Amino acid sequence: MLSSTTTAASGKSSDLLSSRSIKHVVILGANGAMGLGSGALFTTVVPRVTFLARTKEKADGGLAAAVKMVRSSTVASRVDTGSYDADFDRVVAEADLIFEAVTEQLPLKQEFFDRIDKVRRPDSIVATVTSGLSINQLAEGRSDSFRKHFLGLHFFNPPNVIVGTELIAGKDTDPKLVDFLDAFCTKRLGRAMVRTADTAGFAGNRVGFKLLNECAILAEEHGPLLIDELVGPYTGRALTPLATIDLVGWDIHRAIVDNIYELAPDEAHETLKLPGFMADLMAKGVLGSKTGGGFFGQDDAGGRIVLDPKTQNYVAKSSLSRPDLGFIEEISNLHRVGRYVDGMRAFAAATGPYAAIAQKVIAGYISYSFHRVGEVTDDISGIDRIMGYGFNWAPPSVLVDTIGLKPTIQMIDKAGLSVPPALANAQEGTTFFDDPQVNVGKFFVAA
Amino acid sequence: MAQVPEVYVLGGYQTDFARNWSKEKKHFVAMMREAVLGALDETQIEPSEIEVAHTGNFAGELYSKQGHLGAFFLEIDPAFSGLPTARHEAACASGSIALMAASAEIEAHRYDLACVVGVEQMKSVGPGEGGDFLGTAAWYELEAKDIEFPFPKLFGKLGDEYDKRYGIKDEHLAEISTINYANAKLNPNAQTRTWYMNYDHAMSRDEFNGTIGGRIHISDCSQVTDGAAALLVASPEYAKKWADRVGVPFESIPRIKGWGHNTARIRFDDKIAESANSEYILPHVRSTVTSAQKRAGIADTSGIDAIETHDCFTTSEYMAIDHFGLTAPGESWKAIEEGVIAFDGSTPINPSGGLIGAGHPVGATGVRQVLDCHKQVSGKAGDYQVEGAKNVQTLNIGGSGTTSVSFILGT
Repeated sequence: MLSSTTTAASGKSSDLLSSRSIKHVVILGANGAMGLGSGALFTTVVPRVTFLARTKEKADGGLAAAVKMVRSSTVASRVDTGSYDADFDRVVAEADLIFEAVTEQLPLKQEFFDRIDKVRRPDSIVATVTSGLSINQLAEGRSDSFRKHFLGLHFFNPPNVIVGTELIAGKDTDPKLVDFLDAFCTKRLGRAMVRTADTAGFAGNRVGFKLLNECAILAEEHGPLLIDELVGPYTGRALTPLATIDLVGWDIHRAIVDNIYELAPDEAHETLKLPGFMADLMAKGVLGSKTGGGFFGQDDAGGRIVLDPKTQNYVAKSSLSRPDLGFIEEISNLHRVGRYVDGMRAFAAATGPYAAIAQKVIAGYISYSFHRVGEVTDDISGIDRIMGYGFNWAPPSVLVDTIGLKPTIQMIDKAGLSVPPALANAQEGTTFFDDPQVNVGKFFVAA
Repeated sequence: MAQVPEVYVLGGYQTDFARNWSKEKKHFVAMMREAVLGALDETQIEPSEIEVAHTGNFAGELYSKQGHLGAFFLEIDPAFSGLPTARHEAACASGSIALMAASAEIEAHRYDLACVVGVEQMKSVGPGEGGDFLGTAAWYELEAKDIEFPFPKLFGKLGDEYDKRYGIKDEHLAEISTINYANAKLNPNAQTRTWYMNYDHAMSRDEFNGTIGGRIHISDCSQVTDGAAALLVASPEYAKKWADRVGVPFESIPRIKGWGHNTARIRFDDKIAESANSEYILPHVRSTVTSAQKRAGIADTSGIDAIETHDCFTTSEYMAIDHFGLTAPGESWKAIEEGVIAFDGSTPINPSGGLIGAGHPVGATGVRQVLDCHKQVSGKAGDYQVEGAKNVQTLNIGGSGTTSVSFILGT
């Protein structure tokens, strides 16, 4: 069982914050997006941040990118740079917090932790930004002191913009340290913290990539264009699902879903299996936007092209016909004037084969989220927070509140999915979302 | 003179000023709707109880090609059918003017419960076009036409006038910016709450903090913001019944203790010419501040626990400091150096983050300021709560110091 899903009790946060100080942070992997972004974030409150990479030149490059990212040259006045060969032992020994953001490979990370374990001060904190590797597994073989001071601190990319952050304790992590880092990140770094269990993909990626992968699977039969429209902004997200996979990178997507598929067989197991066409295309070098295209791309003349997963060829977007999706237009028009409840009730009530596809994905998202309570977080508010603050998607509770309890249950039922007990046993009129600081309307984007 | 009834502020709601409603592909009525329904929810008041509605908005015609914003109130809820409504415009003071109208009607015993909503959707256009639209708050033909970003330049001139009469340092303006950004980090509705800012950045002069007009750099500016804020204001009779209904002591309900309202000539140079022999650079602004305090029976700013002022630029807040009387005229820098205006100072300015940190949806700003006063004096400001705040004052300015309005809220 987890100690607490939500943030550390705010009443005690000032005591907690004074329980230790973070004056020097070392970033490992400071030339990568997560390393340099997190490094820039730390400079807002920490007087000294050291960027380390394989070479000093790479670390310098990370710093230059960090300056551009937050648009302030003053980042540089708080950062020094160095290489693993020349500077690692010295700066890691000096650091209050060692933040590991190297490539997402277990043996590589373990190699770094072995080095850290040899030189770190016994009281320094070691955090990993891993988005899904097991914290307990990463800590295996390390000293008692290391394991006591080691935890997962999962920022989302880009960390200077997205505040949702997962905090994952290992089985030996000192609970007082977890409380401290929770308060530090909340109060000093302005993060929206969510404590999760040490399960595959933690909370956010487990729930989020389940929906994304389900959309990738559906794209094989229905085509990416139609799926992205059906599960588009009007269903409670800024960016459409398959465009998100392209942006994240197919390789990252694969690493996350493969990890969950292997380690967390659950009631939605098959929706987490990477579709074969994606594996085939990846073998040919397709990795999404960073390789020039994935589900969507551009031809040499700049025209928009769309993948046909059946043939694994691209076709001109303009050549694709669009079925009548009048219900999406109707819902979008309601969202546009702020009538989100009317919009989402119309969504649940929409009929026809296309509405059924969209309803099944959204019902699956709600059902899957509520079924993860007790497994990845203590309560639904943890999953709500990371989906809202981390993914910028309508959190599952917001969808239930907006659609209405009964129509939600009917929608889940109709999709052939199991209705979570928290919904089945709730009284009509119960509201599930409990964060008054969030404008829930922002999630319902008019298409 | 007959006794006029006091005007009570029951509560309100503001949208998250970090949102981009154009990216959400929303019409501004969605923003009005979220603000008004949020205010009703916050106060546990039914839509059918509202008797009149006033909308503050600067330039819907330009940003959204839509006038007649009072009428859009009816699109919020069917219960508003037939409701008397009006839209009010006084540039960046539009929201305060809407509240002036609502409170005057309550004082005149016309209505017992009014809703005031300020709204502006500004991200519908690019920065150049938006800057040009804002120029219509000045004398457009004489001060803004064919000028890139006219308003930063006008408020740069305000700094120049301080420089001429008293001297002014960039370091003090940078400190004003730093404080507003830092306060905004405590405000969950502030537009800049996740932005990167520190004093050194505010003092930097490279590509990331370029000049917008004279001494005004990016870090000296308020933001281009989409946002709405709503308030429910009531007569004593309604407020008493409401207090019983929701279970709060009547005495704990904040009321408008005083107000001030003045207009100066619209052209900046005319204002400066008029004040040549005054110790205050914008004497009508000074008069707005002091007349609000006089009406509230408060001798001077030492009776004010916090201020929500109009920092459209750091120079406007610099001006507000001495015009509030926190220092002698021309000595605003002293209050900055002594920490008077800091969050934990004796008279914190903009605990919300102000227009620089919290954001500046033009027509909503005056309403947002009063809402923040309400939060402060009722102890509901969360992380940006000023301990023990009893009387909090606003200063909302339209144009280059042209229309100024001030309210004092207290219990």
